[in-house]
Amino acid sequence: MYIELMQYSVLLMAFSMVAAKRFSALVTLFALQSFLLFLLTFSEAAKNGSTRLYIVAGLILAIKVIAIPAFLSRITKKIKVPDGMGLYVNTTLSIFIAALITLLSYYFIRNFLPAMDKEAGAALIISLSVTLIGLFIMIFRIKALAQVVGLLIMENGIFLAGASITDGIPFFVEIAVSFDVFVAVMILGVFVYRINSLFTHIDVDKLNELKG
Amino acid sequence: MEIILLLITLLFAGGLSFFIKKGSSAGMVTLSGQIIAAVFSFLLCVRAAGGVPLEVLNFFYIDGLSAFFLLLIAVSSMATAFYSLWYFKNDENTGFYYFLFNIFVFSMYFVVTVNNLGMMWMAVEITTLASAFLVGYRNNKTAVEAAWKYVIICSVGITLALFGIILFYYTASSQTGLRNLNWTELNAAGKFLDPMVVKAALIFIIIGFGTKAGLAPMHNWLPDAHSQAPTPISALLSGVLLKASFYAIIRFVIIASKSVGFSFCGNILGLFGIISLAVAAFFMLVQKDIKRLLAYSSVEHMGIVSLGFYFGGKAGIFGALFHAFNHALAKSLMFFSSGVIIKKYGTNNMHQIKGALEVLPFAASAAFLGMFAIAGLPPFSIFMSEFTVLYAGFKNGFYYSSSALLIFLAIIFGALLFHFSSMLYGKKPANMSASKESAGITALFGVMLLFLLALGFHIPDFLRTLIGAASNVIFGVE
Repeated sequence: MYIELMQYSVLLMAFSMVAAKRFSALVTLFALQSFLLFLLTFSEAAKNGSTRLYIVAGLILAIKVIAIPAFLSRITKKIKVPDGMGLYVNTTLSIFIAALITLLSYYFIRNFLPAMDKEAGAALIISLSVTLIGLFIMIFRIKALAQVVGLLIMENGIFLAGASITDGIPFFVEIAVSFDVFVAVMILGVFVYRINSLFTHIDVDKLNELKG
Repeated sequence: MEIILLLITLLFAGGLSFFIKKGSSAGMVTLSGQIIAAVFSFLLCVRAAGGVPLEVLNFFYIDGLSAFFLLLIAVSSMATAFYSLWYFKNDENTGFYYFLFNIFVFSMYFVVTVNNLGMMWMAVEITTLASAFLVGYRNNKTAVEAAWKYVIICSVGITLALFGIILFYYTASSQTGLRNLNWTELNAAGKFLDPMVVKAALIFIIIGFGTKAGLAPMHNWLPDAHSQAPTPISALLSGVLLKASFYAIIRFVIIASKSVGFSFCGNILGLFGIISLAVAAFFMLVQKDIKRLLAYSSVEHMGIVSLGFYFGGKAGIFGALFHAFNHALAKSLMFFSSGVIIKKYGTNNMHQIKGALEVLPFAASAAFLGMFAIAGLPPFSIFMSEFTVLYAGFKNGFYYSSSALLIFLAIIFGALLFHFSSMLYGKKPANMSASKESAGITALFGVMLLFLLALGFHIPDFLRTLIGAASNVIFGVE
């Protein structure tokens, strides 16, 4: 019961991130969403008493709840850009689109995987929605940092899928993936610095010199 | 055992290059590293071509398909390391470049040899991360823009592919109780997988890895990254990276075909293939930038490889794999020779490059001949592979797609001929004088052209066996 509640909360967090207008709010919400994933994994670990799940939970806490949000906040402080994210579409419309995405995921999963049992199906719908909402944030937010967070939201969605429909993707793959995410964020962070110093802004809609 | 030595060699070469102050010595270390790695991969090819897959430590798995891609990576990375020596001969502080170069090549070798599909996913992601700074190496506005788009778009693609992998794992674990992501075991369980889940998963996989393989309409990063990266890296991206990602698609297609049939997988690839050809043909016609022209040509050739899989049959697969190999050779040659021209003229803009044949006779001739090769004219080997793909198409009754392929090839040939003849002929700029060209680079061009010609007349038995072994893996022949 409370597992499902947490899964729905993950989706709720994704919706709040769609509604967020300031980057600092986005990072906080992302940390919260990751914390929910940590709780999910941790409770699973406590239930099975499995060490490997404890390790995975610890990794989420260390990387996604603490390290990455801290790193992102540090960048925002250093580059001194306005906190607003720059929305292509306003909040109301964004939430409407996010709802549409959820509906679409629902139909996709129900059509393609009708045989799947109810709980797994619901979890998969949520994770696909979260993944696609992350993609939406990447495309429809102007600041480069919002794209980084969008990518992380996508990863969270995928993680939820891995954790809930399978009993966890194989252990060392999980560790490799977390490490990968961490490195990717570091590298993207470096590029945000570079973009900021070369262009004196981080608006990706103005990165349009290369065409055709 | 060779595979471990191979990977250690590359890591060692990478580490060493990083700490060497002198640019040319770092380049020499890297080149030697690539040559040693190539020797090991030839050894692996010889062993795997026999048809018996090698398993090392229950982690690496090298069968005919891996071996074929090993050969492709070995040849291209050796040539590129050699070219880098010339390209960066006047630059200092190239340690970082060579370090990343080795890591980049390392990750591609890793992609094609690892058994665990989750680790393969990770390796593909590492190829992006390692090459991000290589694409943005110049660190100016356009380079950083290209690198940003490259990392963002490819990471999104890869993330979607991970969703597909999880779906594969879900169906495998619920149907057969499989507890890991090893390709060998997933493949053995292939026919028990739920077809609907596999179909959904495969769409994510092909879109995801297809983004990195440069299939349109997910190709947007490709022209930017290819045009802004230093020329050796453009060659490596085009020649090997796209193929390594396509390799990942092939691995999943093999598993999926056991459950949903080969034609379903082929149809998706065929759709992306045709779109790629159409997009490439259009953008090549209107192109101004020479490296973007070549980048779109890579989109075209990946489209042809996908069409080979769509047409299927022994001929289609053979043609597709052989084409991947030829394209790696020809496109590297094109980037190398264009790189020489670009360096001399100081611009990528094709309208400002005139009379290259007069200024740089060897490089320009290599570019001209290479242009005929990538356009698929006989007697070059690309003609043979394109012909094989077309033959498969007409033989298996895909008349519309095959005719479309023919039309697009004709348009692209026209575009290439138009652009290159205006660059190579015409009056050279008054302030430019013919210059002496490096003997090493000229020799490299000669060797590559010779290969392209020789393969057009006769495919050596070794390569034929290797491609045969690779297509046996695809068809699941023991």
